Amino acid sequence: MTSGTPAGPPLWRQAFDAAEKRVTPHAESLVRTPGFATGVALVRRVQNLAKDTARGVSARAWHLVNLPAGTDVARLRAQVGALDREVRRLTVQLENERRRPRPADVPREEHDADGAQSPGGPRPRPARRGAQRPPRA
Amino acid sequence: MERNALRARNGIKLVAGVDRPGVGLTPKDVVWERGRTQLWHYRSDKVRYSPPLLIVFSLVSRSYILDLTPGNSFVEQLLDAGFDVYLVDWGEPDERDAQNRLEDYVDDYVPAAVERVRELSGADEVNLFGYCFGGDLSLLYAAHHPDAPLRSLTVLATPVDFTKMGPMADVFRGGLEVDDVVDEDGNVPPRVVVQGFKTLTPTAEVTRYVTLWERLWNDEYVSAYQAMTGWSDDHIPFPGAAARETVQMLVRDNAMVTDRLTVGGDPVHLSDIRLPFLTVRAERDHIVPPEATAPLIDLVGSEDKHELRLDAGHMGLVVGRTAARTTVPEIIGFLRKRSDEVGED
Repeated sequence: MTSGTPAGPPLWRQAFDAAEKRVTPHAESLVRTPGFATGVALVRRVQNLAKDTARGVSARAWHLVNLPAGTDVARLRAQVGALDREVRRLTVQLENERRRPRPADVPREEHDADGAQSPGGPRPRPARRGAQRPPRA
Repeated sequence: MERNALRARNGIKLVAGVDRPGVGLTPKDVVWERGRTQLWHYRSDKVRYSPPLLIVFSLVSRSYILDLTPGNSFVEQLLDAGFDVYLVDWGEPDERDAQNRLEDYVDDYVPAAVERVRELSGADEVNLFGYCFGGDLSLLYAAHHPDAPLRSLTVLATPVDFTKMGPMADVFRGGLEVDDVVDEDGNVPPRVVVQGFKTLTPTAEVTRYVTLWERLWNDEYVSAYQAMTGWSDDHIPFPGAAARETVQMLVRDNAMVTDRLTVGGDPVHLSDIRLPFLTVRAERDHIVPPEATAPLIDLVGSEDKHELRLDAGHMGLVVGRTAARTTVPEIIGFLRKRSDEVGED
């Protein structure tokens, strides 16, 4: 039972490795075929269709008794989310504005060009120090 | 018999989820936060280099992979090398983040983090470091803000050619829409992200369990398995609007390569990046294949640019022996050359 050489993997593992070596390339090429991508999209659409139909039925039932359905709550959550994002962006932009050099430190036209912005408008740039450094010698 | 007893003991521990190794343990402070996003500053009394290093993490996974376990931590090695390390962690997005677009990260959060780092450190500039999709955010930030106060930019496993990203990108070119996969909170749920990654190597899941069974007696292996698979199964939701933009701009238009990038409506060109630049790619990366990262070196406009190719997998770039022996020392070498010793005039 004793041997001078280290034991190799057990037989079952060798068998598994041999099978895996044969199967893996086929499985990997399968998931890279256009058919697989289309299949995934199709399955997902069917799942969503079934889910949406069920949701529609339950929403109508809740609305019949004048109660909000899950879809109404989801819509509200999305609206709160959008509002939260706007507030967050304004806060961050305000912070960045505050960290910028004061008007006396920057040329007049640059200061005027960077007034308060709405979150939907063009983004104000961060406080700047200078152009990106050229490579060091 | 003894191995079978150890297998039984470790198997029970795994199933019960007890005795998990602690992850992300390097001491740190939250120095800025907005929404779910936090800026962490790792504590260190060994800072020898300036400017500080700011790590921008990916949007779909947990940042503790960079600080996995004591002794196997990318962050720990950077601190030991004398860098002052900060990390932007995006937290766990919920319905309040569903409308977040890429410009939120590129034009608001990253600039705010950069400014906070400068404020705290007193440095004029920062060395920016992007990991995986965080590398894409860093590229967009550096390209959209050519006058940003950056000393250098390093990106790790950062995809630019999304036609080479494999099945996960192919399904979105094959007719799948982001709206087909978003959850009720408006975000792409973590299970979809995990499934997407698992599709890349369809047999890996089976091999993983077979190897686990074979080595279940080995405490060290089980501990590493728990930490690694814990991370790879533990993703975070991808904000819906950012996911739509990613799919349209980066996947379908392949805009990084075709130079059709826009951020907040502005055209953005990677060739505007003129900083000292390092891109690190892993030759055995199944998540971000090397072909997807390969064009990057030619797309940036820097004169001082370098590419490091390593014989490693995606996680092997930052975790394990290859990382400790090759990736991290190379990155440290690159950053040291672009840093000043503290106290040096």
